[in-house]
Amino acid sequence: MSILSAIIFLPILTAIFLFFVHLHINLVKIVYMISTLAVAYLAVKLYINFDASSSMQFIEHHAWISQYGINYDVGVDGVSLGIVMMNAILMPLVAIALYKQRDKRGYWINLLFVQGGIMGAVLALDLMLFYLFWELMLLPIFFMIGLFGYGKSNFISMKFNMYTIFGSLMMLLSILYMAVEHKEQFGFYSFALDELKNITLTTTESLLVFSGFMIAFGIKIPIFPFHTWLSDTYRSAPMGIVIVMSALMAKLGTYAIWRFLFALLSETSQELAPYFIWLGLFGLIYFGISAISQTHLKRMFALSSASHLSLIVVGFFIYNSYGLIGSSFFIVAHALSSAAIFLMVAMMYERVQTYTIDSLGGIAKVAPLFALFFSFFALSIVGVPLTAGFVAEVLIILGAFEYDTIIGFFAATSLLIPMLFMFKTISKVLYGETNERTQNFQDLRVHELVAIIPLALLILAMGIFPNYFIKKIEPTAKAFVDKKEAVYYE
Amino acid sequence: MSNEFIALAVPFFLLFSAIFILLFGLSVYYTKNRGYTITLGTLFVSFIVSANGVGQKYSMEILPDVFNSMVVYDTFSATFISLFLLGGFLTLAIAKSFVDKTNFFTHESFVLLLLSLFGMVVLTMANELLTAFIALEIASMSVYILVGLNRDSLKASEAFFKYLLLGSFSASFYLLGMMLIYAQAKSTNLDAIAEYILHTELHSQLLIVAGSMLIMITVMFKIAAVPFGAWVLDVYEGASLPITAYMAGVFKIAIFAFVLRLFLKDYITFDAIYDPLIIGGALVTMFVGSLLAVIQQSVKKMLAASSVVHSGYLLIAFASIGEATASATSAIIFYLFAYFISAIGAFGVLSYISKGSDKLINYEDLDGLAKTRPIIAASLTIFMLSLAGFPSTIGFIGKFYILTSAIEAGYTYLAFFGVVSAFISIYYYFKVITHLYFKEAGHVEVHYGYKVSLAFIVISALVVLWGGVGTSLLLDIPGINELNALSKYSVESLGL
Repeated sequence: MSILSAIIFLPILTAIFLFFVHLHINLVKIVYMISTLAVAYLAVKLYINFDASSSMQFIEHHAWISQYGINYDVGVDGVSLGIVMMNAILMPLVAIALYKQRDKRGYWINLLFVQGGIMGAVLALDLMLFYLFWELMLLPIFFMIGLFGYGKSNFISMKFNMYTIFGSLMMLLSILYMAVEHKEQFGFYSFALDELKNITLTTTESLLVFSGFMIAFGIKIPIFPFHTWLSDTYRSAPMGIVIVMSALMAKLGTYAIWRFLFALLSETSQELAPYFIWLGLFGLIYFGISAISQTHLKRMFALSSASHLSLIVVGFFIYNSYGLIGSSFFIVAHALSSAAIFLMVAMMYERVQTYTIDSLGGIAKVAPLFALFFSFFALSIVGVPLTAGFVAEVLIILGAFEYDTIIGFFAATSLLIPMLFMFKTISKVLYGETNERTQNFQDLRVHELVAIIPLALLILAMGIFPNYFIKKIEPTAKAFVDKKEAVYYE
Repeated sequence: MSNEFIALAVPFFLLFSAIFILLFGLSVYYTKNRGYTITLGTLFVSFIVSANGVGQKYSMEILPDVFNSMVVYDTFSATFISLFLLGGFLTLAIAKSFVDKTNFFTHESFVLLLLSLFGMVVLTMANELLTAFIALEIASMSVYILVGLNRDSLKASEAFFKYLLLGSFSASFYLLGMMLIYAQAKSTNLDAIAEYILHTELHSQLLIVAGSMLIMITVMFKIAAVPFGAWVLDVYEGASLPITAYMAGVFKIAIFAFVLRLFLKDYITFDAIYDPLIIGGALVTMFVGSLLAVIQQSVKKMLAASSVVHSGYLLIAFASIGEATASATSAIIFYLFAYFISAIGAFGVLSYISKGSDKLINYEDLDGLAKTRPIIAASLTIFMLSLAGFPSTIGFIGKFYILTSAIEAGYTYLAFFGVVSAFISIYYYFKVITHLYFKEAGHVEVHYGYKVSLAFIVISALVVLWGGVGTSLLLDIPGINELNALSKYSVESLGL
């Protein structure tokens, strides 16, 4: 078994093991830690062995459903490497930060499951395989919200489930349509990404196929107007899954746009790109303004996350190497920052039992360490210099200016909105007068520091030495842009 | 084992066992447990024998001098016979605790079960309309009585009466249709009819077209397609759970086996006439079925209504047979297998937790089952996911084949509606999961019954999973590819 398969299946097998073997909850947590650390080790090994001078590597191929040309194809390139690393690094840290709060087996089993599902979806190069993992990772999220969620969790998990499955089914139809077209044009079924690229579709067909994919990805990210599940779900979901959703699942949607839509329907995507850039910019502003008026901390950060994801979408759709590198860098940077900030919110909830912004205040006086990290992560989300977000935003804005001055201008100015709500939140939560909820606010404990310091260091490292990280993405970006230009000038 | 031996041994063994139990049931040595064991043993042995005929391609007439080429044994029939023998075996094996806790499973019920299987075996092998009718009636009659097995239950009697009346009424359409076909083609043999159709102008075949349509009415009735399936909810509700599972999973397969043969041999030439009707039928069946399933309060009725939806999916593939023959037919066979294993599992879980009462299982009755019985809850979840067509289960692969064949045949819009209906089905199948896992238990922990039943439920669940992801590269167990090859061989053996 190669390293990629191990990364995908180790968490899933551990989850199945934990489901059948009833261990004491402490043992479950230990097994969880061992498994996620093993995955993290494998991911680091992958990162080190990753050849920075070529694009797709570690390719693994097994026949699966041969009659229909469905294969087990996995591989990793510069863009997917980032998400794999994030997934591998965040999962153990989540456990370190939250282990005192969660004493249900199901919580940890589902987290392992979702880790495996995300790994599979990121690494898959066969559309059926991708679809399989894409759907599979939904299931643990559904269970997590239903089992451990707050409020009307049944209704919300069902709504989230229906919403995303609707998108997935539309995507399934598109995938099947392409495969059948491949059969008609080349005489055999194939679901491999490399082979489906070659089919030719009429304008109407490619528009329909494009929209099938886009509905699925747009719902997961979410892009405006597919965001109506967002704030309820984030509000109700337990923190482990909120982190997974904002740091990984949503990023997977943007990644899938790049990986599948741009590869399969290159021309259509380029023609439609301006619409999606404007839609992304609109989303950036719309979600930003919605975030300003939120009083619930989780919803606020959910909307802020959606706002930045819209920027990532813009970065991909501006279709040049700045945009691509910036967006894939931002995927990693934002995953780190948003995971960290949601962890901080979880710690805060453990102490004050509330998410309402107005009932907080003055934490900086009683818990300086907490305040330091909270404001650091919050600022890293909006991209203050020296943090990773800054590099990414600069790259995307550069790309936007190269694409079109007006779009560049809009992208640059609309980034002020996140600043607005972030500063507002920081001032309301950390400063001001203490009240009876916050006056006994306990500062960060050791295990919490262990969980968040690596994240902070990584954010700083990526902000100060971005080159070391960007060089892994460069060949992928170069191959992509070259190919795009080849298509463009044909 | 020679194929001829298998072809003769299986139906005769079933018939022999049926008659044996009929007589044995009168003796003092008979106990319910013995009758049950004999039936189960018969089904198991005949399944093993029959499974030998699967996997290689052949086609032959059985004793042509005696039966005058009325029955043929080919890979097609071998596959289907093995399928529903396995289905009958699984239904009965899972129903162990149900049978034990109820008092209406007399020796006649086992006889009827075996007789209905005998009818189905002959139906699958029938290559002639009259033989098929007789076999169909043997199977149907037995199933009618099985529905009304529980004489104390008013609902069961009602269901029995309704099913009997409507079923007999619908059977008369078959006879009329057959007569019309005979009037024109001068034969009831499928090959002869096919020959006639091939060598005659389409517009001068009015009687055959009309007759085939009448036969289709009977078939639509039996598979509970809308608008002929009005009986299905009441009958499935009234019948006891193992019988419902048997009807939904096994009996339906036998009907489809015959229709498929009929379709591929005869109807395929006037595909253009039928397609609009079948497409209309598929759409109506899927959406009315979905609507019915959404509004049900009891899980049993929901599963009954959803079986209508699954008939709708199968009709999509039927509509695609004309343009994409190979993929559509193997899609149908695969889907039948996928549906049967998931449905038998789902009904099996219900019968397992109903503890033999004829009470309807409501959604609330499943509350908190995941805490008290995690294995059962997980199995039921797997069956629900498979019925909903969630990836990594066999149901997904089945849907995948059907949708692909529809797109291949040029009916992309039909595939779209299939997907929409699958989307609706997510609601009612996931509702079950919601109740299993997210609700607090309303009942105390109870002992449900035999480990045997549980073991077979778990085995079915594993088969469902393996059929969704399995590959023979891992563990060297036949996976999706091999199942695919089976359905491909069986279609090829029809010699089209």
